[in-house]
Amino acid sequence: MAASETTTIRLQSNDNHVMDVDKAVAERSLLIKNMLEDLGDAAASETIPIPNVTEPVLRKVIEWCEHHRGDPPATNEEESDTRKRTTEIEEWDQKFMQVDQEMLFEIILASNYLDIKPLLDVGCKTVANMIKGKSPEEIRKTFNITNDFTPEEEEQIRRENEWAEDR
Amino acid sequence: MSNYKRASQPGRSSILSTLQATTMLDTKPVLPAEILVSILDFLPVSDQISFAKTSRRMKEMVYDDTRWVSRLVSMGCWDEAEARRRFEEAIKRKREAAERANAAAAGATPLAAKRTTLFDAGQEEERRKKLAEEAARAPEIRVDGFETLSLHASTKNSQEDPATILDIYKNVRSIRGYARQEYGKIYGALAPFYYDLAQAKSHTEPAVFKAFRDPEKQAQMLRNLQRFSQNDWAQGWNERGEVLTNMCNIFENAVLREFEQGYESWDVEGKMKRYAHVLHDLNGGNAAMDHPILNNRDALGNPMDCINQAPEDGITLEPSRAFFKTLAIKFNEQSAVISQIFPDAENVFWTLLDKVREDIIGEYITPILDESHDRNLEAYLKAASGLFEQCMAFVGSLDPPSKSKQSLETHAKDFGLKTFDLHLDLYLREELDFFTKYAEREVLNWEQKLSEQDASVESFYMGNFNRRAAKNDFLSSFKKVVMMPVTVLPTIPISSPFGSSKSTAAASGGNVRNSITGMPVASQTTPDVDGSLEPKTGPLPSEAPTDELKAKAALMANRLEGIKSLFSIEVALDLVGSAREGLGRIAVFIRLGGQAGEEAREQCEAIFITLLKILGQDHVKNGFVKAVDHLSKYKAREVSDHDQEGVAPLVTFIELVNVGDLISQMIDVFYEQQLAAPKISDRNDFLDPAGLAKKKWEQMLDESVAAGLNKGIDVLMDEVEYICATTQLPTDFNPPPASQEKGTQQDGDMGPTQTAIRVKDLVASHTNMLVGSTEKTMLDVFNGEVGLRLFTAVCKHLKRQRISTEGAMKLIADMTLYYEYIRGLKNQDLLAYFKALRELSQIYLIDAKHAKEMATIIADGDRFGGIFRAEEVYEYAERRADWYQVKRNVERAMYGMDCSVM
Repeated sequence: MAASETTTIRLQSNDNHVMDVDKAVAERSLLIKNMLEDLGDAAASETIPIPNVTEPVLRKVIEWCEHHRGDPPATNEEESDTRKRTTEIEEWDQKFMQVDQEMLFEIILASNYLDIKPLLDVGCKTVANMIKGKSPEEIRKTFNITNDFTPEEEEQIRRENEWAEDR
Repeated sequence: MSNYKRASQPGRSSILSTLQATTMLDTKPVLPAEILVSILDFLPVSDQISFAKTSRRMKEMVYDDTRWVSRLVSMGCWDEAEARRRFEEAIKRKREAAERANAAAAGATPLAAKRTTLFDAGQEEERRKKLAEEAARAPEIRVDGFETLSLHASTKNSQEDPATILDIYKNVRSIRGYARQEYGKIYGALAPFYYDLAQAKSHTEPAVFKAFRDPEKQAQMLRNLQRFSQNDWAQGWNERGEVLTNMCNIFENAVLREFEQGYESWDVEGKMKRYAHVLHDLNGGNAAMDHPILNNRDALGNPMDCINQAPEDGITLEPSRAFFKTLAIKFNEQSAVISQIFPDAENVFWTLLDKVREDIIGEYITPILDESHDRNLEAYLKAASGLFEQCMAFVGSLDPPSKSKQSLETHAKDFGLKTFDLHLDLYLREELDFFTKYAEREVLNWEQKLSEQDASVESFYMGNFNRRAAKNDFLSSFKKVVMMPVTVLPTIPISSPFGSSKSTAAASGGNVRNSITGMPVASQTTPDVDGSLEPKTGPLPSEAPTDELKAKAALMANRLEGIKSLFSIEVALDLVGSAREGLGRIAVFIRLGGQAGEEAREQCEAIFITLLKILGQDHVKNGFVKAVDHLSKYKAREVSDHDQEGVAPLVTFIELVNVGDLISQMIDVFYEQQLAAPKISDRNDFLDPAGLAKKKWEQMLDESVAAGLNKGIDVLMDEVEYICATTQLPTDFNPPPASQEKGTQQDGDMGPTQTAIRVKDLVASHTNMLVGSTEKTMLDVFNGEVGLRLFTAVCKHLKRQRISTEGAMKLIADMTLYYEYIRGLKNQDLLAYFKALRELSQIYLIDAKHAKEMATIIADGDRFGGIFRAEEVYEYAERRADWYQVKRNVERAMYGMDCSVM
């Protein structure tokens, strides 16, 4: 894979912006990595369309990949252990995630689509932090959720979960 | 980072404020469920519940049973089997209800049926509601209890509440669909303490220590919290876990200090017992193990004593025995204390033993073994085996808190295995190497000696002593030595039992056995090997028979001096002896069982196989090859001296066969006693390597003997023919008539001739030598062959003689002599030949005048039992001294006369 360090590939976003990315960086995405492996070297010169992702989001994602290009590849087993994943967010990632909520969700969706597990985790953690300590009403507002409970139901669910009330 | 540590948000970072500031209404993308689920995973429980309260969809997601089951699993209180059982019961109940409903429906109007179903569903609903309410109510109370608790720690409420909290895990049920409720109970009870503890700055702060005053309860609570922390995987879990662990350590140290104080003041029943229980509640009491360990290590003994006190290059295990004894006493004292103070005494005891093994025994044994390995291999082997034996005895002498014997045994095995884990492989290898080298060296030495005095083969041969008796005598003493550690001997195949020699052997054997049983067994820690290691402790049993055997061996060697030059019983004895020592040493490891035991067993077999290989291939077979070589070089006619009794190389060879047989029997006894009896090797397993090697050895011996005997017969017959040709005087069977007749008649009576006697003696002495030394069938074949060849030789000899009527008497006497001899061999087929020969010799007795009768006899085939045809008899008749005078008459009687009549 020595050659791959210098080769670049072309990604095309949903809105037809084309950008050149180092292969090693692009391969943070398992989707792209597997695709390149399946198609062989011939595909390296072609432009790869990323239909679900818009240009600003793609740029953001690539920025993250650039920064994390040297990270050790994720091991597959860790997925079973939830605890291992739940580490604090790195400082750089925290800053990186200081975007508006729409962008945040877009990044999460893009990383889910492109199969970039660490980025997805960072995104989820960020959202989790947003939820933490909020009242249900605040959460609804944040996530644009409509309350479809009847008052009786609301009362019941409150009673059911008194044990978990935050103190 | 610390901002995320707790559930509370004193300073929610700027991300959130910016996010909140943004207005997001319709533009917001909606996250798919799978992502929401993974977001939920990162949330603490309380926030998950808040999330559930937002909408039905979210509630469903949060309420999902697997989410809560996995939390229960992580705390180790979800019993899948129980859950399944409950689930199946529920299904069954439902089915029964449905059946009932169906039955009711069958007999009732549709309306009724409808009602039942309605009722059924309602009931179900009701039941669920009730359960949920119950689940909701129970923690409610507890939560309230806690609230008061944390605020004013010593309210009355806390007295009964803590009990339920302490046992919270015991009350958890595993029900599918209700995992959340069950989890809720635990959470409600423990989470307040948990999060409170995680925030605590010092050990005085946490509510746990305020709510619970007893150290026992505090320990239990801490344990519960540690268990609870297993399911905390929201962000910041590691910090919280650290705080908890720190707190536990502080607590443990405090308890340990108390425990130590108790130890110093020897308050066994009071403080020590109490705090041991506390420690046990906390984490099984491992920490306490460090303390009551034996500190006065120096008093136990210096490992080097074993080497230094021993004579040059040797080793004495007396100091180590003392060491183990002291250790056992000390340890038993500890054990008594342990069973007093620890709730789970047995576990603590074995853990402590493990520690002792590592720290004290390991450190004692390793230097001894290393040092002795460097100094002297034999000492090393003895030390390894001896120490192992002592180790096992040590564990055996321990007095564990529990009464079960079996656990002691398994632990003893485990103990032995672990202690000698490092040394075992090396030891087993060295043992085999040592033996192989020793055996090879011995054989080589011996062969060198042999080549130095190669020329002296023609020395003395066995005298006229009772060979078989001597052999038997020797064998029985050998058996005694081999079976020494075993008291009762299974039947051992002895090829030729001799009453007289056996009775004396048995008598001396009885003495030896008495002296063994008379010994106090208990005092001997290392029963077998000890004899050679520590001559002072057990001199009688091992030395007496060894000496007896040595004496016998010397005696035997003296007698067998002549054949010493080809292979030696002494060497064989020596090898067997050293093999036995090695086996004895390894055998103690076999009872370890498992893989190590199996390895030891294999090594035992390997030693046996090596013994057979070296003894067989290198020693005995070489001897036989040489002997056969000697035999084939023997030319009767070239040897000048024929006065001595027997053919020298043949005698040598037959003696070799005897010695070989002796060694073989020795091996057999050795196999029975050392390998088969202690179940090292299975006699009935035809694939067993030791058994195979033994068979191979026997086969080798038989083959060598057979090959030699073949040559031997040739040589023997050469000798017979030579004797016949050189010593038979022409006058023997044809005495000169008249003038000298008087003189011969005076000194020569009617007995057989000198030649016949010598031939018979020669053959007889050689065949006799083999009796009892080799297989009976082989002996029969040998005798048969010898007889047949003797017959041919005699016939050939007869045809060369000229026999007169007077000489016929002598001839008949000769033939009778042969006949008698052959009859002694008890071989019917063979006897027929010599009977015919005897009959044949009578034709010479017939007077010349009775030619007609002679002709009848010659023609009478039945008379010779079909051995001689008429033509052959006729040929013999030609050897008559007066043949030319009677020929005409005989022929006429046979053919002519009758023909003329015709």
